[in-house]
Parts: sequence; structure tokens; C-alpha cells
Amino acid sequence: MLTIENLTKQYGKFLALDHLNLHIDKGEIYGFVGPNGAGKTTTMRIVCGLLKATGGSVIVDGIDAIRQPDDIKRKVGYVPDFFGVYDNLKVMEYMEFYGSMYGMERREIADISEGLLELVNLSDKKDAFVDALSRGMKQRLCVARALIHNPDLLVLDEPNSGLDPRARFEMKEVLKNLRSMGKTILISSHILPELSELCTSVGIMEHGRLVTSGKVDEIIDASQGNQPIHMKVVYAETEEPLDQYVATVLKEQPFVEKVSFTDDEVLIHFRGDDLEAARLLNKLFDHHIMVSHYYREKENLESLFLEITGGEENA
Amino acid sequence: MHKRLHMNPIWKKELVVGSRSMKMSWAIMGINAFLIIVVLIVLSITNMSAATSGYQYENLICLFPILGCIECGLVSLIVPIITSGSISGERERQTLDVMLTTPVTTLSIAVGKLGSAMSVVMMYMIASIPVMAIAFVLGGMSWWALLGLFGMLLYLGIYVGSVGIFCSSVVKKSVVSTILTIAIGVGIIIVTTVILYVVIATQSAMCDAKGVTYTGPGAVAFIMMLNPYSPIVDFMMRVMMGTGIDRLLEEMGTQSSIILAISRWWIPCSIVINMIISFAFLKLAARNISVTRNRK
Repeated sequence: MLTIENLTKQYGKFLALDHLNLHIDKGEIYGFVGPNGAGKTTTMRIVCGLLKATGGSVIVDGIDAIRQPDDIKRKVGYVPDFFGVYDNLKVMEYMEFYGSMYGMERREIADISEGLLELVNLSDKKDAFVDALSRGMKQRLCVARALIHNPDLLVLDEPNSGLDPRARFEMKEVLKNLRSMGKTILISSHILPELSELCTSVGIMEHGRLVTSGKVDEIIDASQGNQPIHMKVVYAETEEPLDQYVATVLKEQPFVEKVSFTDDEVLIHFRGDDLEAARLLNKLFDHHIMVSHYYREKENLESLFLEITGGEENA
Repeated sequence: MHKRLHMNPIWKKELVVGSRSMKMSWAIMGINAFLIIVVLIVLSITNMSAATSGYQYENLICLFPILGCIECGLVSLIVPIITSGSISGERERQTLDVMLTTPVTTLSIAVGKLGSAMSVVMMYMIASIPVMAIAFVLGGMSWWALLGLFGMLLYLGIYVGSVGIFCSSVVKKSVVSTILTIAIGVGIIIVTTVILYVVIATQSAMCDAKGVTYTGPGAVAFIMMLNPYSPIVDFMMRVMMGTGIDRLLEEMGTQSSIILAISRWWIPCSIVINMIISFAFLKLAARNISVTRNRK
């Protein structure tokens, strides 16, 4: 459905996208993750024909978004991260306005809008003024608006941005409905647990490049063995200060990369597998270090993201 | 099979949104109140002069150029105010990006914005017909003159509106856009007038030096066709005096039959030229809105 090849975008000397390659199959929900400024929004805007690329190609269902920006507009529905609405315009009129922009007939727009407003749970608000809707409702209305022309690809840039938990839940339900309808969606979000729940595939971007991309489970499985170990030491037979002794012992062990201390916990950056982690615990016992809890963090999208991006600014 | 004609969606939306605002009602009331005050002043002057020379209702014909000029002034002020926020307002509201993801062309956006502004202005003008009609009922003016005046106002609105939309696409702040629109309009008037004045003064001085009779500015006079108000002046002259700018040129000594022939068609020639300029402004505005321009 979407194929991006060697996509490059340069703003003066700043390289926002550096030969980005990406492929999304039909019916897939692809999550875009990356620190602020990684190039997610730039990519999405190019896909929607809102920005001119410096180089490369973007093909949506056989249409080149860069060479045929007008044709791509019928293929893509876009929900930007920030958007406004018009005063004095009712929900149904809002849908009618955007439907008419696609050359649709009034009756056709009304029929489709009814279904879309039901999908986004705004059926009871169709006669309400758009400006009077809550932020979450406006966001859902914007999704309905983006679907008015039945696009092949839906591009959602931070759809949960600035929403309260209730509104986020409702938006998640809308996205789940879209997934069940088989829509192809490219979505970026700051809320990584939700992305991993919703998306079939994810891509992690950094400095305009795709660092990793693939099925959520496959990516997480492939990165198993890198998660840190959390441990609480209650006693050690030593004359030295406890932290110093524990750090010395740990640093002598294989696969231990770094040891850091929080208020009551020791965080061990460990590269070994689970068997090696068990051996490490035995070694601690051998050195008469008594541990009250010892567990390894479970790999998830958030920890993987932090690991890949080196814990830079949030996604 | 015939294809149904669709109204420009932006134009339609702006009309719906605008008609719900109280601004339009207040503006209609304000404009009519102002025009009525002017009419009352003229009527009271006529009344006062009636004491000495009796009622001369035909003098009320002077209401026509007075009200016509006021209406032109209102169009020149209102249209920039309406159009100045047309594109910059969409940017400020963050609605432009979504609009640009639809197949609607940037020229359609500009035309839609201009059309909606013109609809509002024409609404104001139509609402002032009862007041304007006083000049016709009492002063014996023909209805064709009133129709012609509305045609002139429509033309002027399109011209000023196109400049306003262009300015709105260039600058971010609506206030700056309004000022810039008025400045461009005033600038065109001043530049064309100054050029013509300098040419006439120079030619006249040269003729005096040579001791020959001055025969008018010649083809340079046509620079005034670029002045958007010149066809309105020509129209007013024709309605009030039965002659237009061609007569002025003749009186200045112009003998060229081609120049005189063209100047007899001053109104259509100038309107066509200025409508081409308007279209160029709209095209430039569309180009500024276009996403394919390399902007972040």
C-alpha cells in the first residue's frame, strides 16, 4: 500500500530525512515512533502531499506522491497533530464542507457522514457546533473527516496528543474499529503502550532514519536479552561501603555493562540471556551479597525505544 | 449526461459561517445609518436653499456621486478588512493544512475566499438600495445608472479583494495584510497619477519652450487605465455630464483619432486590464498557498 524509497528532505543544511525506506502492506497499522525532530511528521506530510521531498519516492497504491501530489489527495486521509475548526459551523456542515472539497454530492456526503459519525461515536452531536465540542470529540471528528472520501491510507499524526485518559480511550476504540475494518493506517504517537497494542508493525525513527522496523512481536523478540536487571541488596559481608562493594563485584562479572544506584535499588545494564542472569545471581550469593528482590525488566516498545534512542527526549 | 455544477465549497462554507455572525447585521445597519445621515444632510441643505430659490429637487441628483463615492470608499475599506484574514486566518486557525490535503486547488481556495468576500460586500450594497433610491426617486436618476454603479462596485471589490487575498497569502498578520492592501491600492493611484502629471508637465513645458500648442499627453494617458478608480470616474462623468474621459483628453488638445477612439471605451478597456491584474494577484496568492513550494 505504501512504499517509501530513499526519501530525503533537507531544510538548508539540516537533513530531516536521510534516505528513509519503508513498506506498509494493505490492512496494516504501522506505528511511527521516534524522538521529537526524528522526522515522523515530515515523512507524514510528504506522504500526504503537504511537503515537497528533496529526493526519493513515495508510492501510495501505485501513485507517486511526489510526482502526482494532486492524485495522492484522493488516496490519503490526514489527521494532523495540530488542527483548528471553524466557528459557527455544525458537525454535519463540517463533514459536508470537506466532502464537497472531494466533489461529492450532498446526499452522498450525508449518507457517508452518518456512518462515520457513528463510527467515531458522535452521532448525537451532528447538529452541535464544532467549536463547542471537547478536544477529544474534535479529534474524533477530524478522523471522521479524514475518512469522508474513503481513503486507501489514513495518516494520523499524534492523534492522542493533548487528550485526557477518557478521550484517549475513546480514540483507541475508534482506531480499533478502523483496524477491524481493514484500513491501512500510518500512525505516530507518544503513547507507546497504546501503539504496541494497536499496531501490527512499528518503525523507530531517529535523526531522519528508520533505526528498526517490523512486526511488533518480532522486534521485541529480537531485542530480548538487553533488558536491565533491577535488584535490591539488603546486606553484604564486607568492611567496605555496601554500594561500593556491590559495584565492584558486579563489574567483575561478564555481560555487566554498567551499574547504577537509585535510592534503594541497583540497576544493572546486562547483555546476557536469562541463564546468564541466573548465574549472576549465584555469583552474588557466592560473594555473600544478600538480595531481597531481583528481576529483569520485560521488554516492551517503550523500553526498546529508550534503548535504541539512548533514552533521549520522549517519543 | 450532464455534470452538475458545484458551488465553490470554500465560498459556500464562508457564506454559511458569515451569515451566522452578528457582524453582518451590524455592518448593514452601520452602513445604512451612515448613508441616511448623508442623505439627510443633503436634504436639509436643499430645504435651506428652498427659502431663497424654491425647491429644486433636481439638485438632489448630486446625491448620486456623493453616495456613489461613499460606497466606493466603503468597498475600498471593507473588502481589505474581509479578505486580509482569508488565508492568514486559515493559517492561524491551523485549518489550511487540512484544506490542502483535499483535491481543491489553491486557485479555487483563493477564488472561493474572494467570492465570499464579494458576496458579503454586495449584500451590504444591496441593503443600501433603499437609501440610494432617494437620489433616483427625487433626483430623477435612471435605474440603469444605479445598476451601473453596482457593476462598478462589484468590479472595484474584485480588484481590491484580489489584492487583499494576495497580501493575506504573503503576510501572517491580518492587520498587516489590511494595511498592505490599502497601501498597494493607494500606491497604484499615486504612482499612475504622478507619472501622468510629470509627463503632462514635462510635455507642456517643452511645448512652451518650442512655442507650439500643447496637444495632450497622448498614449501616456492610458497609464490611468491601471488606476482601478478611473473607470468609476469615467462612469460618474458620463452619468452626471454625459461625457467621459475622452472629452477631457479632447479638451486638452488630443487630436489622435486612435487615442480618442480608445478613450471612448475607457470603462471596458480599464476594467479588462484591471481584471487581468486581479487574476494575476489571485494566481500569485494561489502560488503562495501552494504546498509544493519548499516550506517547512
